[in-house]
Amino acid sequence: MSTLDRSQAPAPARVHPFTFPEVQRSRLANGLELFTARHGTVPLATARIVLDAGVTREPAELGGVAHLVAHTIDAGTTHKDAERLSWELELLGAQLEVSTGFDATAISVTAATDRMPQALALLCEMVTEARFPEAEVKRVRTEQLGEIEQRRSDPRSLASDQAIRFMYGSESVYGRSALGSVETVQRLTVGDVRSFYHDRYAPGKAALILVGALDGAAIDTAHECLSRWSSQPAPVSAPNYGPSVTSARVHIIDRTGSVQSEIRLGHAGPSRADPDYFALQVVNSILGGAFTSRLNLNLREKQGFTYGVRSQFAFRRGPGPFIISTAVASEVTARAIEETLREVDLLSADGPTEEELQNTIDYLTGIMPLELQTTDQLAGKLSELFVYGLSDDYFATYRSRIAAVTREDALRAGRQHIKRVLFTYVVVGDPGGIEEPLKSLGIGPVEVHSANE
Amino acid sequence: MSLELDIQFERFTLDNGLRVIFSRDPTSPVVAVNLWYNVGSKNERPGRTGFAHLFEHMMFQGSANVPETAHFAYIEKAGGSLNGSTWLDRTNYYETVPSHYLELALWLESDRLGYLLPAMTQEKLDNQRDVVKNERRWRVDNQPYGDWDERVQALLYPPEHPYHHSVIGSMEDLDAASLQDVEQFFRTYYAPNNAVLTLCGDFDPVSARELIARYFGTLPRGPEIPPLPGRIEVPSKLGEARREVIEQDITLPRIYASYRIAPYGSDAFYPAIVAAHVLGDGKSALLYRELVRSGLAQDVFAFPFPIVLGAAVMVTWTTANPGTTAERLEKALRDATAKLEQVDAQDVERAIHLIEASRLMDLQQVEERADALSMYETLFGDPGRINTELNRIRQVTAGDVRGFADEYLGSDNRVVLVYVPKVGE
Repeated sequence: MSTLDRSQAPAPARVHPFTFPEVQRSRLANGLELFTARHGTVPLATARIVLDAGVTREPAELGGVAHLVAHTIDAGTTHKDAERLSWELELLGAQLEVSTGFDATAISVTAATDRMPQALALLCEMVTEARFPEAEVKRVRTEQLGEIEQRRSDPRSLASDQAIRFMYGSESVYGRSALGSVETVQRLTVGDVRSFYHDRYAPGKAALILVGALDGAAIDTAHECLSRWSSQPAPVSAPNYGPSVTSARVHIIDRTGSVQSEIRLGHAGPSRADPDYFALQVVNSILGGAFTSRLNLNLREKQGFTYGVRSQFAFRRGPGPFIISTAVASEVTARAIEETLREVDLLSADGPTEEELQNTIDYLTGIMPLELQTTDQLAGKLSELFVYGLSDDYFATYRSRIAAVTREDALRAGRQHIKRVLFTYVVVGDPGGIEEPLKSLGIGPVEVHSANE
Repeated sequence: MSLELDIQFERFTLDNGLRVIFSRDPTSPVVAVNLWYNVGSKNERPGRTGFAHLFEHMMFQGSANVPETAHFAYIEKAGGSLNGSTWLDRTNYYETVPSHYLELALWLESDRLGYLLPAMTQEKLDNQRDVVKNERRWRVDNQPYGDWDERVQALLYPPEHPYHHSVIGSMEDLDAASLQDVEQFFRTYYAPNNAVLTLCGDFDPVSARELIARYFGTLPRGPEIPPLPGRIEVPSKLGEARREVIEQDITLPRIYASYRIAPYGSDAFYPAIVAAHVLGDGKSALLYRELVRSGLAQDVFAFPFPIVLGAAVMVTWTTANPGTTAERLEKALRDATAKLEQVDAQDVERAIHLIEASRLMDLQQVEERADALSMYETLFGDPGRINTELNRIRQVTAGDVRGFADEYLGSDNRVVLVYVPKVGE
């Protein structure tokens, strides 16, 4: 006992193998895809209906309609009004969750296994028989307008919203907020809501994902109520991703009195289907994805400029954004951007070291079982299979594809997909002390905008 | 009732006073390592607010055998996740790792518990002071409504109470923190006899026991923990209404109404948990029906702080829809809350079912289970509460909730914050 040597990190023990949960895949006669996976030891299950009803399916003039439809899906059905629906769901202890992304909308319930058949029947009823009463639609539309207002006064949301606006421009669907704008949301009518629902909520373009401690009753309920669903999806046109930005620009959003600058920088990135997807997971983790990323070790642990900095590729069907995000004390705004660019340049010049590459592969492959503990986490993963049309063995082979990334892959993919000459910079802060230092950086023309633009 | 929780665990204590809890679950090949230290902002002396949290940051700056930033690097390379957090009553540190890296996590945690001080430098302290000051700016000073909890604590507890000041502390006190403070705080509070270590997940208890004896059993017991500064006894109610109007760079007004309630763990706290869910959980919740369905507000929240010294806090808040004035919203929140005195058995049943489901959702993750076990041991010396708490909640009746509302949610016990947009903009 007394011979314990603390000076060396202990070696790992024998590996306990991890296998991705087994997924059953089938299709109902009406086209609905069904994914089921038994998972976990807690008596709980999640049912998620994924619909091809994301923001990219909205006509530009109806920005925010996808969100409004999803958030009024529980506003009433043929048989029940809003209050009755929420009462029945909540009396079961069921948690309803709604999310509207660019590529899809998901509506989920999570409930204890023995209450799942009833919760699932209510979920099906809402999704297949929604009625959108006018008073409820108007009320939720007001809430949505309130949320848009809230995002303007919150520097974090304001910075993110303005960053994509300037990166993509007003023509692009990716330049919009999923909430829409005040102008478009104010004009949304009950007719717009009903027709978006009618066109986009259809079994031929939807999936049901059922995971957790499942029993036959839940699966039978799903078959029974979703088999009756018969609406047809309307044809869609290709989304407009807008023109590419061709030069770097700096946009200061005036928030006089701010004690911090919220900084976003980046540009349009590759799509989810890009073959560099795996290499870019590695590159991003090294640059700004992990806690021990180059950016965080420099800006936080070395300089103390920030509480944290992160980079991210938002992989979507189209060219989703690559964004670096941080918040720094106002007086170090320009220096923080300078250090960020130094790290971007270094990685682009030399790529990762062999040690960094191996550490990152270990991290990305090792973390997978940790992130698959809950029914909700697994349902989220399985949604990707449907939304992005991934192969059945995608998750089973994910770790070996990450492990196969080489230094050369990382170097090439990094250079190809992170280009600082195209960066759009957005800084939400007090222009007083930051405008001149930002101009001195010489990274692009600097403009100051009002927050209400 | 089918939802009986039966999370198995065993508990033992090392000679140096470290309490250890094991809870095995081989479902997934991961293990959570979780340490609670019985120290938080409650222990801070005047002039050093925010120090417990700043100290938590220093715990990630390396120790005698672990280089600077290596703690994060080792765990990330292992494919694990990690963090720490500081609150009023406690500081916790945790990592979840693939099972074969259990020993690594124990080595890291024991090295900083045993041998932190040799690695401390002025440069590291200055760096993390800057990081924490930026955390304060990010969470509080540059964030709409970001100072609400600081204000509620200051209004709800007298100056001599350990909960009077916020966890993040003041910029001035953060500036004053010195390396001597780090050393003194470490020697006072960071000892095996002031900590609980929980392992949860896929591990072999026999070898884990050996590893813990080797890495932690060799650390010396620390001195007795000094009594808390200040005075924890407070009257069970405020005895008056207090109200502040805060002008901020916001567009929509928001109202916070907070109340002094019985401390967490006492019998009188359980009706507060149920009351919070009756008020604020879901679209059939009382406040949602009265404030959101009516079109006045865009959101409502209600929850009690699970804190144990003298008195806890129940907080409710609501954000105005465009067009609703602060005055109107404040009155509506007060009137809606008063309706809690008319809840029936079905409202309570709905709330309890929601609590059950969210409890199950939380406990799916080994790290949540580990944290709950550490908490129940630290606060109450009873990790078995992870299974029995739900039963205590289920015993709450509509009469209990009405009684709670009548006793605690009146105007003689209320702190109201009214956030309004700055005029002239």
